[in-house]
Amino acid sequence: MSGSEPLGTEKIYFREAIARAMREAMREDPRIFVMGQDVGAFGGSYREFDGLFAEFGAARVRDMPVAEAAMVGIGVGAAAAGYRPLVSITYMDFMMLGFDPLINYGAKLRYKTGGQLTAPVVVKTTAGAKGQGVAHSQCIEAWLMSVPGLRVVAPSTAADAYGLLKAALREDGPVVFVDHKRLFPIAGAVPLAETTLPIGRAAICRSGTDLTITTHSYMTRVAMEAASLLQSEGLSVEVIDLRTLAPLDIETIVSSVKTTGALLTLEEGQVTCGVGVEVIARVHERLGLIPAARVGALPAPISSNPVLEPACLPDASRVVVAARNLLKNRIC
Amino acid sequence: MLIRGFETALARRPDHGFQLLSSGEEAVAVGLCAALRDQDQLLTGGRSIGPALARGLDPKRVMAELLGKISGTNRGKGGRGHLADPAAGFFGAHAVVGGNISIAAGVALSMQMSGTNGVAVILFGDGAFGAGALHEVLNIAASWRLPLLFVCNNNQLSVSTPRSTALAPKNLSDIGLAFGMPSWTVDGMDVEMVASAAQRAVEGVRAGNGPGFLEFVSWRFASHSTTARETRSRAELEEIRGRCPIARQAEALMAAGLMDEREHVSLKHEVADAVAAALAFADESGYPDPDEVLVDVW
Repeated sequence: MSGSEPLGTEKIYFREAIARAMREAMREDPRIFVMGQDVGAFGGSYREFDGLFAEFGAARVRDMPVAEAAMVGIGVGAAAAGYRPLVSITYMDFMMLGFDPLINYGAKLRYKTGGQLTAPVVVKTTAGAKGQGVAHSQCIEAWLMSVPGLRVVAPSTAADAYGLLKAALREDGPVVFVDHKRLFPIAGAVPLAETTLPIGRAAICRSGTDLTITTHSYMTRVAMEAASLLQSEGLSVEVIDLRTLAPLDIETIVSSVKTTGALLTLEEGQVTCGVGVEVIARVHERLGLIPAARVGALPAPISSNPVLEPACLPDASRVVVAARNLLKNRIC
Repeated sequence: MLIRGFETALARRPDHGFQLLSSGEEAVAVGLCAALRDQDQLLTGGRSIGPALARGLDPKRVMAELLGKISGTNRGKGGRGHLADPAAGFFGAHAVVGGNISIAAGVALSMQMSGTNGVAVILFGDGAFGAGALHEVLNIAASWRLPLLFVCNNNQLSVSTPRSTALAPKNLSDIGLAFGMPSWTVDGMDVEMVASAAQRAVEGVRAGNGPGFLEFVSWRFASHSTTARETRSRAELEEIRGRCPIARQAEALMAAGLMDEREHVSLKHEVADAVAAALAFADESGYPDPDEVLVDVW
């Protein structure tokens, strides 16, 4: 694309990274198929399934009626019976309709059958706000972190989306793959070689010594922006992209906080019972009461109103203010 | 007879927690399973003891499972409402009402995609009939012509709520017609009628005609669960128990000269022995080690 990407990589959009991961995985494993609304010739609401229908046909790229509960249930059932479906739920808000088969059946299947059956299904869904209002904008991945038997990944880059999706399709139990509306049109360098990225490993996106920020998905970009702003104030911030929320890579986080001595968590969802609460609690269990703070959406529904949506969501300036306050308190 | 004897013995145990019994509904389980082959998979709601035994699961391992023992079909972890033995053609029970319907469609899809000649059968109660999952799956199964047979065991009561106050269709099988499926409502207290209806429906699905819908009208002899209050009067229950499908079949066989009293008594002894062996097996088995709590989570 630009010609400036690192050797052995190609620069592609996040949505293209998803399509590439699916294409490679489907060529390699005939048990993998896609089901969801508008995934066929349309190529997905964000064109993240572009080209799959043409290559693999209607039997492996299945358009579905608007029936999320049945979609997830059929995916989980086909997985239990030996296939490896990816079920696409257009917006994460609608996952609530599919929670019963995913949580009550899929996540518990291996356990409740004493290991006789498992459900290797990937539920891919799109979180995040982009002007679509109160029922099309939510980030509810924290709700899923407490479900035993469920993996949750939420990448922030094209390369991680590619590698984690391929890894998710090889897992032996259910994985929720969370992408983000505002990440789809962002390009990044993805290895040309066919690879996977292990689930359960965070990435240190930027090294620093004064403060650790943990985050995931689109908010990683906000954290990086905030870290640059704080750098100009003389504060050195380490940014950790969690990438996988369940299981959490607590070792990477603890190791960072041991160095920096302060922890700020950032997420686009609610802070109450959010991802940050879990990160802080686990760090406190390991390191004692180090200074910590949470940044997330305000406790309100996310309106499509052009003033109210940004007013609700975390941005770099809010992260900067929270970081300053946290570090000021520590020094006092 | 085995199902009745098994459930009666289980219900007498002080240590069974609570159970979802299907006494009175044996003809549905037995007649339906008579129509299934090895390559077929049966999925059910929580009221699953009868269907599991009728499908041929080992009564010893079923009893052990229901009493929480490690030698159970599910290593004691599923318990009531979650019996499973997919190798025996019983993909499993699932105790969320209506929750197994979409799963069964997934199993049917896997059979369709892999080109096996199998049929997936989902057995659910009238309690699940009102659930949205059924209506979503009916549509998809019909559109995709899945090898899936919907079987509604209409035992008239969703815990305490009579079917007549909760569900609108005159016959519950009418809903299948709206999706273009062959659909039948059949007396679920007559095992021969159940078996012939099931045979016809299963073979239609197996032939590639797409899904079918069967409603069996049955009567539950006991309350919803062994700890739930009975809402019907003593007189009403006595009348219902008079419709016993097992007695009805025994009388029919004897009247037709296909079974004599000696054979009937011998069958009763066989059942008593099998139930006693199941209980003995379960009692000799241990509970899971507490460390088992974290095994097979992922």
